[in-house]
This record gives sequence, structure tokens and C-alpha cells, in this order.
Amino acid sequence: MAEELRIGVFVCRCGTNIAGFLDTEDVAKYAKTLPNVVFTRENLFSCSEAGVTDIKNAITENKLNRVVVAACTPLTHEPTFRAACEDAGLNPFLFEFVNIREQCSWVHKALREEATQKAKDLIRMGVARAALLEPRESIVTDVIPSALVIGGGIAGLTAALALANRGFEVKLVEREKKLGGMLRDLHQIYPYEIGARGFISSKIKEVEENPKIEVLTGHSLEKLGGFIGNYQATVGSGEGSAKELKVGVIIVATGASLLVPEGSFSYNGEDVINQLQLEERLKNQAFDAQNIVMIKCVGARVKERLYCSRICCMTAIKDGILIKKQNPDANVHILYRDLMCYGVANEELLRQAKELGVRFVNYSLDSPPVVEDGKVKVQSNVLGRELEIESDLVVLITPLVAREGAAELSKLLKVPLDEYKFFLEAHVKLRPNDFATDGIYICGSAHWPVSTGEAIQQALGAASRASIHLTNKKVKVEPIVSVLFDEEACRGCGLCASLCPYAAIEMVETEKGTKAKMIEVACKGCGVCAASCYKQAIKMIHYSDEQLTAQIRAAFQKKEVESGVQA
Amino acid sequence: MCSGRVDPVLILEAFMCGSDGVFIGACLPGECHYADGNFSTMGKVALTQKVLANQGVNPDRLVMRMMSSAEGAKFVEHVTAFQDRIKELGKLGSTEGLQPSELELKLKAAKVALKGKKLRWVVGKYMEFQQQGNLYGEKFTQHEFNRLFDEVAMDECTIQEILLRTQDEPLSVKNLAELMGLSPRRVLRHLVDMRKMGLVVLESDDKKTVTWRAAVSSAEAIESEKTK
Repeated sequence: MAEELRIGVFVCRCGTNIAGFLDTEDVAKYAKTLPNVVFTRENLFSCSEAGVTDIKNAITENKLNRVVVAACTPLTHEPTFRAACEDAGLNPFLFEFVNIREQCSWVHKALREEATQKAKDLIRMGVARAALLEPRESIVTDVIPSALVIGGGIAGLTAALALANRGFEVKLVEREKKLGGMLRDLHQIYPYEIGARGFISSKIKEVEENPKIEVLTGHSLEKLGGFIGNYQATVGSGEGSAKELKVGVIIVATGASLLVPEGSFSYNGEDVINQLQLEERLKNQAFDAQNIVMIKCVGARVKERLYCSRICCMTAIKDGILIKKQNPDANVHILYRDLMCYGVANEELLRQAKELGVRFVNYSLDSPPVVEDGKVKVQSNVLGRELEIESDLVVLITPLVAREGAAELSKLLKVPLDEYKFFLEAHVKLRPNDFATDGIYICGSAHWPVSTGEAIQQALGAASRASIHLTNKKVKVEPIVSVLFDEEACRGCGLCASLCPYAAIEMVETEKGTKAKMIEVACKGCGVCAASCYKQAIKMIHYSDEQLTAQIRAAFQKKEVESGVQA
Repeated sequence: MCSGRVDPVLILEAFMCGSDGVFIGACLPGECHYADGNFSTMGKVALTQKVLANQGVNPDRLVMRMMSSAEGAKFVEHVTAFQDRIKELGKLGSTEGLQPSELELKLKAAKVALKGKKLRWVVGKYMEFQQQGNLYGEKFTQHEFNRLFDEVAMDECTIQEILLRTQDEPLSVKNLAELMGLSPRRVLRHLVDMRKMGLVVLESDDKKTVTWRAAVSSAEAIESEKTK
């Protein structure tokens, strides 16, 4: 390399988060001895305005051409430090982040000396990689100002309206013949007594009357090509009439289904029913039971389904209240393992249910209730004895489960599912509405069971996230992608294309024969292709073989460096 | 960085740098942040373990564990177990009974083998063959893959090791068999195959002993020459 390397290392104290558990001064001193390092500095908070200004000044004054910050995680502050480099005229991809907080000080709180040594090791590895970093320019692509919303339940309808009202074209695809999703089958929505049918009908009307929204009921996604800003979605009705839609972003709002408790607690759909059947009876005013027993957590929080569906507690409580209001003499027992009544309004409902005389009986999983003819026997945890409750209607409260077809859809979209086949967001805290794939968003019960209010909240969130790209009209994609850097070596075998999880590699005919061609904007930078090419013709930018090898070698160089022997 | 980026060559690099163990952390099955990168890692790790075992290195020194970012306790559990196991195994080569020079040669052969076409194809097609079957629609079971992995790992490593051992001085079948701890019959079988591929040539210094010499130096041999 012609250019002389001038690396600057900034060691962050993070107040006492780092400096409290390892010797940052010693670490900074050590960093100065590493190859190509011409400047080191210890900062109290590197991410503070003073810290960032310090980095910028140091770059200019010392003509730094590589910057290493040893601090926290890229997830929180990489953008901050990249921006600082850019402001000082340094390409942001010449910045290297070393994590000495989450991966060092915090986990080795009792081992000051070892933690200090580990921080040195990590920085030595970072400096080795930094020396091989290459400048990159962001990839910019146009965004088609239109969105595809998959699912016409409350979440999908809300997201579609939110985007349409901001002036964007929306294609709303619903698998069923009618819009409305699960709310069409519900009676009332908690925590306030709002009729589900009327509420969803008005939403549907609003959507159908909106000129910006094209509704495609009876259609589902069959094929998806392209990438953020430029997706080609093929939707069809399964009867041969496929339609191609060009959209910039996609929102997934496919909802969830209620688990049918087939085979448990003598479920028969007549006097032992599920929650949806209860809703239906209440809605149709066909409810006349006198002694009602609801059993919660049927098929939930059990071995094969460990999760809590969250919304069923409140639905049961709401239904209990409705029954008591309709017939104060009715006996309503709710058999529960735990109660999920989060939030002010929900707590209030629980109190109201108790006041109205709904009785709550705590049972445990190891002695579940037994449903017999006309009665339910249950071991009460509070009383410490078995209760025999008269019943003419048993309602089994089951959890929401992932929709059938979630796996197929996730494959088409190339987005992940969790172990229960619910869609998995990019990050549980930091990016709750996004998928890891840019340009695709998630809301509602497709992600995890939510109430109507939460579905609306999430739909607005997803629409808001999606509208960022639609408004900007252009999207910047991280240029951390794989490239065919040795076209000569490529044999056109197609192994990389078959392994790419994002269909970002196509095989093309060139004058020199079949060659791999990378579609930069579609590449997410997983590097599977580079790790598989037997001609080593593919380079994973920013995580190249050279950079990773340098890091590995640096990790084990400790002794040589310390004893002054050249590596 | 996706675990799918972990090139088996990098794993060998770490061992050759003096690492006594390599731990690869990956997303949970089906929860990969890069769709299915972790599945490809599973195949790569399984194959690399076979290669290590074939070269006399305890495969426990390479571990892949899957967990979500929310499972801190699980991570600690895995790392602690890994650390305990590596402590038990001691320094690389010690429990294996391999002298440093011998270990270096064995690892070098493994590294070149893992860089090459055959092993990369086998592992690259692992998922596809398991899910969709090969060109003829034949699906492979885990058991069949295991056997396939065993076979190709053994063949490829042996070929590379013969190349490395015969590049400086020609050796007889008997010499090679002793050095590599293999039967002369197996060594000969490989040599004959390798000769057909143009990888080795027959040499004879006196009229009695037949010796074999590498006709091509492995790519790795060239690379290490450069870095020296």
C-alpha cells in the first residue's frame, strides 16, 4: 500500500462503565506501541459531544487515516463515530469499533488485571484489521413510492391507511375473501366496550373508499424478487390469475390464529368451547349459560408451547364482565395459572370483574382441572383443597398460534421466524418494527399475540418506519457486500448463487464464460458465498479473508509483541 | 458478522496460530439474522470436525453453539463448558500426542483440503441435497452425509498430506505409510489415484526403491513460502 498508515486509537472510559473495571490508561499506553498507531487518547465519554469533537480534531491534526474506537457496541454508537470520521474528511468505512464494554469490562468485573489484558488483546486485533480497511461509498438506489401490505386485519388496514393518508400508493393483499381478519369474529374489544364488528367495518370502509389503496382480497403472495426500494411481488388467487406489483417497501401484517383445543378437556364445541365460540355466542345473543367455567392457559405455557399468549387473560376477564352484566346471577369461575393484566386500564378491568363477582381460582400445571359431566374439579392453590364447580359451559382459553403459511411466507420474503413460527424482528428492543432485511416491516399478531390497541400501535410504527424510505425516494444501502473481485478465477459453478439466502447472486453469460454477478443492493453481507467459493474469487467487503486472518493472527501475537520478537 | 461467513480455512488459521480451541456462536436454528446462514455454518463445522479428527486433532476443540442474543445465561453456560473441555484437553497437540512440527504439517494439510473444491462442494450442497435432493431427486439422510463427510475428509486430507510430505524429498510407499500411520495399501491406492491426476510423479534414485514426489506444490505451500 502506497499510503502510509496512520492509525488513531481512542479508548473510552465510559464514565466508570469501562474505567471502573479495567485500567484504560494502561490500555491506551499499550495501544500506542502497536504497529501503525500514531495517536492514542483516553476519553471520558467518546460518544459525548466533547469526545466526538476530540476525535474529529485528532483526525485533522494528526492526519489520521484509520480510526479505532475502543468503547461499547456498534449497535449503539457505530453511526456516531462513522459520522465523526466523515465530518473530519475520513471515509467512514475506515473506522473500526472495538468493544471493551459489553464484551470486556461488564463481563469481567471482578478480574481487573485480566480484563485489562483482554482489552489490549481486543484492541490489537482491531488495529490489525483497521490497517486493512478500505474506503467504501454507500450504495444509493431509487425507491418506488408504493407499499405492499400483506394481511387485511386490523394491523394491515391501519398500516395501509397510515401510508395512503401520507400520499403513498398501497397494495393491500388479503388471503381471505373479506377484509377484517380476526376482529370480524369477535364481540367486543377490551378494555372499553367497543363493538368489534362496527369498529372493523368502519376501518374497512375507510380503506375501500381510499383512492390510494388497491385492495386485493382472495390473493396471496406467490413470488418476490428485487430488494428494498424495488420489489417485484407476484400475487395470485390460486386460480391462475397472477398479478405483478412493483413496490418499494413491504409490511407484514398476517396476524395469528386461535389454537383449537382438539382433544383436551373434552372439547366438543358445544358445552366445552373455545374463546372464539364464546365471542360468537355473545355477539349473536345466543348465550344462555348459567354456570360458566373458563380454564386458562390451555395449550399455552406447556412443554410444546412455552410462551404466554398475553391477550387471552384480558379477553376472558372482559367476557366474564359481559356475562355478569348481562346476567348478575350467572356464576363465572376463571381458573388461572397466572394473570396477565398489564397496564392501567387492564388492572381496572380485573378489579371490576372481581367486584361483579367473577371468581378467580388459581391452579397449577401439575394438577390441572378435570372436566366432568356438569362439573369441573380443580385443586385450588389458595385453599389448598379440591373444589368442585358446577358448570353448564366450559370455555377453554387457548393461545394465539402462528398462521398456517407463515413458514412459506417467511421463505418468500427471506425473513426469519422464531421457534413458534411467529415472525422475528431485527432487534427486540432497538428495531421492533423492522426485519433484518431492509424495506420489510412487521406489525400485529404475526409477530407475537397482541391486543387490538397494540396491533394499531405497531401498525402505525411499521408504517412510519416504511414511510422513511418512501419519503426520501432514495435509499442508502450499507456497502458491506460481497463482490466478485477475481472474475478470471470464477468458474461459473453457481455454488455461491445456490447458497445465497437473498437471491443476490445471478449467474450470467459473459465473453469469458459463465460468471457470478452480485446484485449489490440485494446483498445483506452475510458472507456465505465468500466462505464457500473454492476459487476464493469472492471477497466479502469489510470482512475480507485478509482482514479476518489479520485479526486472528493478532489475537495470538501477544507473547511475541510483549517479548519484543517480531511477528 | 454472520456465522455463515466463517470459512473453515479461518478456523484452521486459528489453530495454526496456536489456539487450543475454537468456539463459534450462531443464531438459533430458524432464527438466523441472515435467513439461513447458520445452517451453512452447521455443515461447515461438522465437516471441519471430521477433517480435524482425521488429522489426529480432537474434534471437541471446535464447538458451534446456537443461542439468541437474549440468552446471556445460556452463552455463559456454553462458554464455560467449552473452556472446561479445552482445559481438560490441554495445549493443542498435547493430548493428541502430536509433536509441533507434525501438528503443523497435519493442520496445513487440513487447511488446504478445506480450501479446495471437493470439500467446499460437498458442504455447499449439504442443505440442498438434504432438502431437495440431488439432480436425480435423491435426498440424503444425515447418516449418509456423515459417511460422505467422513470419506471425502479422509481422502482430501490424505492427498494434501502426501503432497506436503513429498514436495521436498521423494518418499517410498513404506516411508509415507510409516509417517502417516496408514497402511501401505491405502497409501499406494492414493498415490496411484494422484498419479492419474498428475499430482505426483514416480522417481527412482537407485534401481531398487521406487519413490514418489509431488508434481505440484499445494497452494498453501506457496503461500507459506511468501509469508516466511
